[in-house]
Amino acid sequence: MDRWDGGDMKELAEWVIRDLFSKNPDTWQYTWAIYLAGMALAAVICLGFVAVFAGPVTWVERRTAGRIMSRIGPNRVGPQGVLQWLADGIKNLLKEDLIPDDADKPLFRLAPYLVFSGMFGTFVVLPFGANLIAADLDIGVLYLMAVTTLVVVGLLTAGWASNSKWALYGGIRSAAQLVSYEVPIAFALLVVVISTGSLSTQAIIKAQGGWPWQWFVAKNPFTFIAFFLLLTSAMAEGNRIPFDLPEAESELVAGYNTEYSGMRFLFFLFEEWANLWIMGAITTLCFLGGWQIPGVSPEKISASSGWTFVGWQLLSFAIFAAKVSWIVFIVIQARWTLPRLRVDQLMSTCWKYLVPMTLVCIAGVLFMDLYIVQGGITDKIIRWIMTLLGAAVIVLFFLRARYNYKMDKDKYPGLRNEKMWYPPYRMP
Amino acid sequence: MDAREIYGLLVQKFPEGILEFKENLLDPAIEVKPQALIDVAFFLKAEQGLEFDYLRCLSGVDLKDQLEVVYQLHSIAKGHDLVIKVKAAAGDPVIPSVSGIWKTANWHEREAFDLLGINFQGHDDLRRILLPEDWIGHPLKKDYVPQPEYHGITPDRPDGLDAIPIGEGGEQPRPPIQYLPAMHGPKDEPEGKLFHLNMGPHHPSTHGVLNFMLNTDGEVLSRVVPEVGYLHRGMEKLAENLQYSGNMPYTDRIDYLGSMFCNHGWAMAIERLLNIEVPKRAEYCRVIVDELNRIASHLIATGSMAMDVGAFTPFTHWLRERETINDIMEMICGARLTYNYMRIGGVSRDISPAVVEKTLAWLDHFDIIMEEFDRLISENQIFIKRLAEIAVISAEDAIDYGLSGPNLRASGVDFDIRRDEPYSVYPELDFDVITGKAWKGSLGDCYDRYYCRMDEMRQSVRILRQALKAMPEGDIRAKVPKTIKPDPNEVYSRVESARGELGYYVVSDGSPKPYRAKYRTGSFTSMSIIEHLSPGLMVADLVALIASFDVVAPEVDR
Repeated sequence: MDRWDGGDMKELAEWVIRDLFSKNPDTWQYTWAIYLAGMALAAVICLGFVAVFAGPVTWVERRTAGRIMSRIGPNRVGPQGVLQWLADGIKNLLKEDLIPDDADKPLFRLAPYLVFSGMFGTFVVLPFGANLIAADLDIGVLYLMAVTTLVVVGLLTAGWASNSKWALYGGIRSAAQLVSYEVPIAFALLVVVISTGSLSTQAIIKAQGGWPWQWFVAKNPFTFIAFFLLLTSAMAEGNRIPFDLPEAESELVAGYNTEYSGMRFLFFLFEEWANLWIMGAITTLCFLGGWQIPGVSPEKISASSGWTFVGWQLLSFAIFAAKVSWIVFIVIQARWTLPRLRVDQLMSTCWKYLVPMTLVCIAGVLFMDLYIVQGGITDKIIRWIMTLLGAAVIVLFFLRARYNYKMDKDKYPGLRNEKMWYPPYRMP
Repeated sequence: MDAREIYGLLVQKFPEGILEFKENLLDPAIEVKPQALIDVAFFLKAEQGLEFDYLRCLSGVDLKDQLEVVYQLHSIAKGHDLVIKVKAAAGDPVIPSVSGIWKTANWHEREAFDLLGINFQGHDDLRRILLPEDWIGHPLKKDYVPQPEYHGITPDRPDGLDAIPIGEGGEQPRPPIQYLPAMHGPKDEPEGKLFHLNMGPHHPSTHGVLNFMLNTDGEVLSRVVPEVGYLHRGMEKLAENLQYSGNMPYTDRIDYLGSMFCNHGWAMAIERLLNIEVPKRAEYCRVIVDELNRIASHLIATGSMAMDVGAFTPFTHWLRERETINDIMEMICGARLTYNYMRIGGVSRDISPAVVEKTLAWLDHFDIIMEEFDRLISENQIFIKRLAEIAVISAEDAIDYGLSGPNLRASGVDFDIRRDEPYSVYPELDFDVITGKAWKGSLGDCYDRYYCRMDEMRQSVRILRQALKAMPEGDIRAKVPKTIKPDPNEVYSRVESARGELGYYVVSDGSPKPYRAKYRTGSFTSMSIIEHLSPGLMVADLVALIASFDVVAPEVDR
């Protein structure tokens, strides 16, 4: 019995046929069954993961929001409220599923599933660790772009089928917004694809290394910019403030989900929070070295066996999850800090700024790839400079936070004696 | 120029049109013939040296055999006041409309038509405003008889709970709900590609129960018609049935975010009628609670403005600060929202040293939080982009539409009742009047209205510090007769509320109840300019515009 060294679920299925059943996968008549079982397994794992991520992250978001907003947030269900998401889920499941009388009922029922499958489809090509991926498609990035479009269809369907003018506004807004922002996302991903020479997500990660200076974000100034462009566009694609126009509650009541209730409503929220992971995962795999373990090459992981192999997989997953969580946390913080753009400002941000900038990035990366030898001394110098720049950005962020913190503390001596740190001032 | 001089001028100019000069009234009034009203009004507005550009209030009064309309005029440029009266026979009350001269008269006249049935000739849109279109009768007329029922709703249920069957018999068959057809609508139905949208009565950013009927082309508005009256509680009718002092708690409900101003204005009006001198300490108490209330109200205004453009965090930070003000108010008067603190001739309770200490400590804390708030949201680029250059109101328009308070000052009009027509102890206190300075865009845009309120809070802090220090010892209530029976007279008193001029026009006939009480509020006038401003705005801008006016729905509808 050989060791399984494959990359994705297809190879796992072939390994099972070859080594457990001792059959040739090309000729055996039950190959399809094993493939089907593999697909089902992958789907169940991904679905479980999405649920377990999207649920608790709502709690994380609400507690973070509470901290930022100088209030407490959910803290009653379970220790510190960690089980709040389960309570919310159960409550929504038990709620009446209201469908407006004049709604287009089949479409109304269908829309949440369209949105959900559009989101869930992306998990096929998102890696979780060195060898943990449902299918390492050759056209991974292209597939990613294609399948997320299904979300637009779902939102538009929801808006139209509700037969409510506010929902229609939300649907139309989301169509305009999501279609527009796919352009800068595609271009930003193209920067990575050009640098890698492959559309496969695993190949993109393997083209980077474990250390920050081996990541694409530090490859050259253009990839550095492309990282921020991708992050911004991904926030727009995920309907997060400052780009949450499709569900702008102060303008459109609730946007496309105005008429939804119960479980169907939950599906939209589910999609929204699962999107956080997708957002973070795409940025991480494209620019932040994905699951790469510093100092351990992918070949070394493949060459290992037994518990070492399992250990590397878990470590790579932990690294990937940590990077994604960091991005998710930034996105959450942005949501609770910034106001919302207006719809024309949103469009001009996309077409006047993001699209031209990504185009410049593509041109710049082509130029750099042509004239700078990979691994040469110029390449190394550029990578070091970009790494330091990235570090400087992070340091600046913390200095800025400290400045704001100190500014109040110095001015108001009473605050210095506080036991609690910043937000909850003791009221005089 | 005082009223007598103006009367002399008018008699010279319109020997036929002027009827009488009522000098014995507290606010001397000039009575004008209906036929000459338009000429006189135009003369008063246009003549050099008079320049009555600001119509503060227009009230209708039912004198039983006659209906009277009272115009409270003010000149922002010259700083003088004038009261004009016009009378019409009760049978066929026709009075020419001045809405072409002062645009703010448009809504005021609709209200007078709605509540008193005065027919304003030349008004282009004389519809009911506070009551539904199919209401019968005009409630503020003295001979008004309420309808026995309105769409199945009766004022009383004679059988009480016994009429409702209990338990057995299952569910009673109910008559099917009949939906009424939309009663009002924009006069021109949307044509072609225009889209008709009802924003309200229940909508997150209408700040209460308001309705805006929008005609939109995609996101761009072509017309917005505000529809008010959902919260009309007939407060003016209520006042006519209550004794003077008994109306005080009802005034709390005019503007639930600024109850102190409502108390203050009512108390001042009756004190002027009775000619009562209020003790110094009571006046200081009033100013202190007024300014605390102003800060609390502006906290909600600026916070909800940030929330309406999508930033949640500032609002909760401001609510946290407001909580302390509520605590202080609770220490002062026992209530946190509807205070009922003031009394005719003074205030109900004294401000204790503990309150003074707590307020001073909180003010020190608040200074820092104000700066923090500026760093959090006022300087935020997205916030500025959403508010600057949006819905710019010129100074002329602001005056013409009768905007008041921060909304007027944001357009660069330097007018504050606290300074220009001083009441209470404001003359003894040092503060600046904040006017718009085109901080981020042009003068009179939404950002100016926002930042005016921010700076006004700083001024309120200044006032509070001075007032808390300068508060003298002494009584907190003047000697007031048990039953208040003012001599027949009439008075218009105004205070600078957080939402602008809050005016009380009170007519007494010598009985213990007011003959007529008219409340003039800032939100009502600011709502009337929305239709003028809205074409070309986007849906999201309308939300910012409504928030920037700091409209409180009960104050619009009363």
